[in-house]
Amino acid sequence: MLAAASKKQYLFIALLVIAAIVIGFWEPHALIYGIQRGSLYAVIALPLALILGILGVLNLAHGEFLTVGMYATFVLFSRFGVDPMLSTVPVTLLLAVVGVAVYLLTIKHVLKAGHLSQLLITFGISLVISELIKSIYTTQPRGVFTTYSYSSTTLAGIRFGTYEFLYLLIAVAVLVGLQLFLKKTRLGQATFAVGQNPRGASIVGINVSFVYLFVFGLSIAIVGLASVFMVPRVSIFPGAGTPYTMKSFALTAMAGLGNLNGILLAGIALGIFEAVVNAIPGGSGWSDVVFFGVLILVIMTRAIREGRR
Amino acid sequence: MRNKAMLIVAAFVIAAASLPLFAGPYFLSVFNTIFVYMSLALTWDIMLRTGQLSYGTAGLFGLGAYASALLVAKAGLNPLVSIAAGGAFAGLLAFFLGFGVLRLRKIYFSITTLALTTVFSVIIRNLPRLTGGASGTVLPRALFNGDPGKNYWMIYCLALAVIAISVWLSKSKTHYAINAIRNDEITARSSGIDVFKYLLFIFVLTSTIQGVIGAFYAQQYAFVQPEATFSMNFLLLPLAMALVGGVYSTIGPVVGAVLLGLVSEYLKLIMPYGHLIVYGIIIVLVVLFMPQGITRAFAKLFTRKMQVGGVDSASLRD
Repeated sequence: MLAAASKKQYLFIALLVIAAIVIGFWEPHALIYGIQRGSLYAVIALPLALILGILGVLNLAHGEFLTVGMYATFVLFSRFGVDPMLSTVPVTLLLAVVGVAVYLLTIKHVLKAGHLSQLLITFGISLVISELIKSIYTTQPRGVFTTYSYSSTTLAGIRFGTYEFLYLLIAVAVLVGLQLFLKKTRLGQATFAVGQNPRGASIVGINVSFVYLFVFGLSIAIVGLASVFMVPRVSIFPGAGTPYTMKSFALTAMAGLGNLNGILLAGIALGIFEAVVNAIPGGSGWSDVVFFGVLILVIMTRAIREGRR
Repeated sequence: MRNKAMLIVAAFVIAAASLPLFAGPYFLSVFNTIFVYMSLALTWDIMLRTGQLSYGTAGLFGLGAYASALLVAKAGLNPLVSIAAGGAFAGLLAFFLGFGVLRLRKIYFSITTLALTTVFSVIIRNLPRLTGGASGTVLPRALFNGDPGKNYWMIYCLALAVIAISVWLSKSKTHYAINAIRNDEITARSSGIDVFKYLLFIFVLTSTIQGVIGAFYAQQYAFVQPEATFSMNFLLLPLAMALVGGVYSTIGPVVGAVLLGLVSEYLKLIMPYGHLIVYGIIIVLVVLFMPQGITRAFAKLFTRKMQVGGVDSASLRD
């Protein structure tokens, strides 16, 4: 399941570093921006991968939970004047509660029903959330402005924003936290076991349904955490989180199921790739194709390789 | 029993055909839309009968729409011919894509078809010289000069053709093959069924129909635009309709389309923002509580012995 860095992964890291150095000389902004965005993609993709790996459910409502977190942060800011950084704890807790509620009401009942029901129900949930937000807050874009999120610094003659380096910090923190949880704690080891073989885990006395509940709640809480830190830099509208579902799946597919470290690498690689495409004159419109193109390519190569085996 | 059912069906067919003789343009446009979604719902369901959940309905719909609109706008083709060409284009593309996409199963198939829809729309948005970019292309003339009666008959005939195809498929040898693939692909393969051939056939067939319907839609409104033409509605509404009516059948999507089509018309009036939430709730509730759909629930209620669709009545559980 959660394999340690393999030989292939080291090769990938080496390639990534070389590419980063080359891009760094050619267009340093693309490199910086790519690392920042890529880390953010990774933070959001990690919980999707966790749910897919442990519960076996592809959560198509993933991005909508992100939107919920953004709106929660926005409401705290506009109604009560709470700085986004201070909303971290309440919003993360709120999303954990939302996640647990959604799990108990819906996901729990389709775990054994097969992938068709799961794909349909999460698709339905994504719609309910986004349309609910639309009916409450309309489609008007909102924003939260803070001065610190636009702070910048100059290094070696290159001026760049510093706030978004926070994403890298959070990505590493979440990744390390998850790895420690899975390897060092009892519940984490139980989760690991459930991911490998749910029936076997229940035979040895692990409370599988609690593990599912916990993993789902934890994952949505991480999504909430990511949303809080995104808010000062993005415009908030009912579809704001939607693209992240596919982007997260792209990273998960690229890293391979169960490879959490790989998600951060894949995120940074795709982030840089996207930033480079954006830096090419006339390329900005095509950057959306990068993710989906890579996603399709990765899925296809995996399918063909498995077909041959 | 059988004669009676045939009579009822015939009565419905004639009543629907004669609608333009007495109904006003608003009513016609409501049913026009219902038939568009009904056709899409049937194609989505036909693909689902093979066990593959496609999220690409809107993508092929949009491609057919664009192909037809651009052929009229840039090459001056006859609109009716262009509708056929739109379908052919979608079908041809599906044929080539099929060699890759149809190797995928389960979530990988679904997510790839979803990704393809986005890729299509982004490509079209980024070719402004050909497609008009983000603002789209407006055609000089609407189909039949926007005559609501003729447009209605056109989509009505198309929908009837799709229903006929769906019925024919459920009576042909293909039906047994795709049922077998859905139930257990390995067993199907070992019984000598060429799984890929059947999947490709169904994929190309449904994509062609989606392309034709998209092309008709574009010609009717004389307008294509990435946001509107590749709208998620063309995936979401058919999906909800087929689910509500009951999947793996012809009657299910048809009943579901009429039912939800009328409901959504009403909801649009009372809920300008976010009326799609109803579709989301419906999808969730149907999957949780009524995976067999409304038609089978009714059939069970009235005749305990009769099982609609025989083998098909195995619900969504796979």
